[in-house]
Amino acid sequence: MSTLLILQGFAYGVIVGAVYALLGCSLNVLYGVLRVVNFAHGEFIIAGTFVSYVLFNALHLHPLAALPIAAVSFFAAGWCLYYLLVPRLRTADDPELSSFLMMYGISLMAAATMLGLFGADARNISYTFQPIAVRLGPVFLPTARLVALALSIIIGGALAWFFYRTLPGKALRAAIMNPEAIQIVGVDINRLSALAFGLAAGLAGATGVLVGLVFPAFTPFSGPDYTLIGFIVIVLGGLGHPVGALLGGVLFGLAEQMSTVFMPQALSPIVGFALLIGVIFLKPSGLMGRVQLR
Amino acid sequence: MAALELSDAHVARLRIWMWLAFCGVLILGLALVPWLSRNISFWFYLMLWMSMASAFNIISGFAGYLPFGYVAFYGIGAYVTAVLVRKLDWPVGLAIPLAGMAGVLLSLIFAKTLKLSGIYFAIVSLALGIICQILISNMPEEITGGSYGINLGGSPEPVHSFYAMLAVLAATLATSTWVARSRLGTALKAIRDDGEAADALGVDVPRVRLYAWMLAALFPSLCGAVEAWYTNVVDSTTAFDTLITAKTVIYATMGGLGTVSGPVVGAAILVGIDDLIWQHFPVANLFLLGLVVVLLIQFMPRGVVGTLLRRKPQLRRYLM
Repeated sequence: MSTLLILQGFAYGVIVGAVYALLGCSLNVLYGVLRVVNFAHGEFIIAGTFVSYVLFNALHLHPLAALPIAAVSFFAAGWCLYYLLVPRLRTADDPELSSFLMMYGISLMAAATMLGLFGADARNISYTFQPIAVRLGPVFLPTARLVALALSIIIGGALAWFFYRTLPGKALRAAIMNPEAIQIVGVDINRLSALAFGLAAGLAGATGVLVGLVFPAFTPFSGPDYTLIGFIVIVLGGLGHPVGALLGGVLFGLAEQMSTVFMPQALSPIVGFALLIGVIFLKPSGLMGRVQLR
Repeated sequence: MAALELSDAHVARLRIWMWLAFCGVLILGLALVPWLSRNISFWFYLMLWMSMASAFNIISGFAGYLPFGYVAFYGIGAYVTAVLVRKLDWPVGLAIPLAGMAGVLLSLIFAKTLKLSGIYFAIVSLALGIICQILISNMPEEITGGSYGINLGGSPEPVHSFYAMLAVLAATLATSTWVARSRLGTALKAIRDDGEAADALGVDVPRVRLYAWMLAALFPSLCGAVEAWYTNVVDSTTAFDTLITAKTVIYATMGGLGTVSGPVVGAAILVGIDDLIWQHFPVANLFLLGLVVVLLIQFMPRGVVGTLLRRKPQLRRYLM
C-alpha cells in the first residue's frame, strides 16, 4: 500500500507544484520589475476562480474556455491598476515595504468585494471531465488535475518563449536585471511596468481557473492561503527569479503533498514552512537568487 | 556658540517635557474612564492598539524591520496566560508577567531571522507567525484546547483588566520614549540608515538589533495576555489573526513610523474611525479598512506626524 500512496503523493505533488509554480511566477514578474510585493495575489487568483465559476454557472461555459477570458480581462485590469496605484509609490521612503502594505489594503478590498458578491459559502465548479479519472500505471489520477498540469506546462512554456524570444519579454528580463540601465537605452519604463503588472494579473487570472480545477473548494477568504504559498515559493526559488519560481513551486508542491502521505493533514503546511525556514538559513538568497544580508 | 548649544539643550528639554506632559494627561484621562464612560471596551482597545503600535515602532520605525508575523507575540501572550490561569490555576497577576517573558523567549528563538532584510524578513516573519498558529491549534486538547480554544473560567473583571492595560500602555510609552532618547535609539537609527557605517563606527549591530527586537516582543505579549484576561477567552484563530499585525502596522504608519508620538496619534485616529465604520457600515468595514490603507500609502506614506515634521521642520522642536 505504501508504495502506491507514495506514488500517488508524488504525482499529486507534481500537479499541485506546477500550479504553485505559475503562482510564484507571476509574483516574481511583479516583484522583479516593479519591486511590488503583491499581497493581494491570492485574491487575484480567487477572483479568477470566481470568473470561471460564474461563466460556467451562467453560460455553461467550459472551464477551459474561461481560461483565456479570465487571462485577458485580468491583463486589462492589471494594466489599469498599475497606473492607478504604482506611480505614487515611488515617492515613499521605502517603496518595497510600502507596496507590501498597500497591496494588503487591496487584498482586504478584493476579499470584501467577493464576499459581498458571492457570500461566505465554500463553492466548487461542478464540471466533470469524461472520463473522470485516468489510470497511469498503478495510480488513478483525476482528469481535471491532469488537464490542469498540461495547461500549466503550456502556460509555462509560453512564458519561457515570451521571456526569451520576444522583444517585450527580453525588455522585462532586462528590467529585472537593471531598471536604470534599461531606461538609458530608451525603454519606456512606465509602459513596461504596466505590461508587467498586466502580465502578472493575467497570469493570476489563468492560475485561478486552474486552481478551480485542482482544488476542491474555494471561498472569498481563500486568498491569503494562496498568497502565502506564493510567497514561500518565491522565497524558496529566489525573489525576482522567474525560473527559480518554477523550481520552488514544484519543490513546495512535492513537500506538501508527500507530507500528507506520512502526517496528519492539518500538520502538512508545517512541512512547507519548515522547508522555507531551512532554505532561508542555509541559503538566504533562495535556491537560485542573490540577496543582500544586513 | 555656547549660547546656541544652550538653546539646543533647552529646546530638547522643552520637547521631552511637552511629550511627558501629554502622556501624563493621556494616562490620567484614561484612568478616569471607568467612572466617566460606559463604553469601557472602546477605551480598552484604544489603549491596546496604542501600546501595540508604539512597541511595533521600536522595531519598525527605529530599526527598519517589518515583522509581518508580529501577532505571534500577541498570541503567545494570550495563550500562556490562558494555560497558566485555567490549567495550572495560577493567579492572573503572576500569569501576565510570565506571558511577557514567554514573548521575549519567542523573540530569542526568532532572533536569527534578524539578519534577513527588507521584504525577506517580512515574509519569513509572516510564515513564522502562521507556524505558531498551526502548532498551537494542533497541540493536544488538554493543553491548548485545540481549535476551540480556552475559556479562562473566573468571572470577568473588566475594570481590573482595564487598569492592567493602562499599566501596559504606560510602560510601553515610557520604554519607547526612553529608547528614542537613549544611545540604543541612536544606534538603531544609525543601523537602519546605514548598517555598514554604523558597524564601522563601533556599534555592536547584532546586539543592538536584538535588544530592540526583545523590547518590541515584550509589549504585544503583555497586550495579548491582558486582552485574554479582559475577554476571558482565547482561541487560535483570533489570537493569531494576521489582521492584528496588519492593524498594528497600519496604525503605526498612520501616525508616522520613527516618531515617538506618531503611533499614539495614528492609533487614536484610526481606532476612532474604525469604531465609526463598525457602527455605521458593519458589512463594508473590511472594504473600508482596505481603502484607508491604500489611501494612506498613496497620499501620506509618512503618516500624520511624519508629514507634519517634513512640511514644517520647525515643529521638530515640539514634537517627538
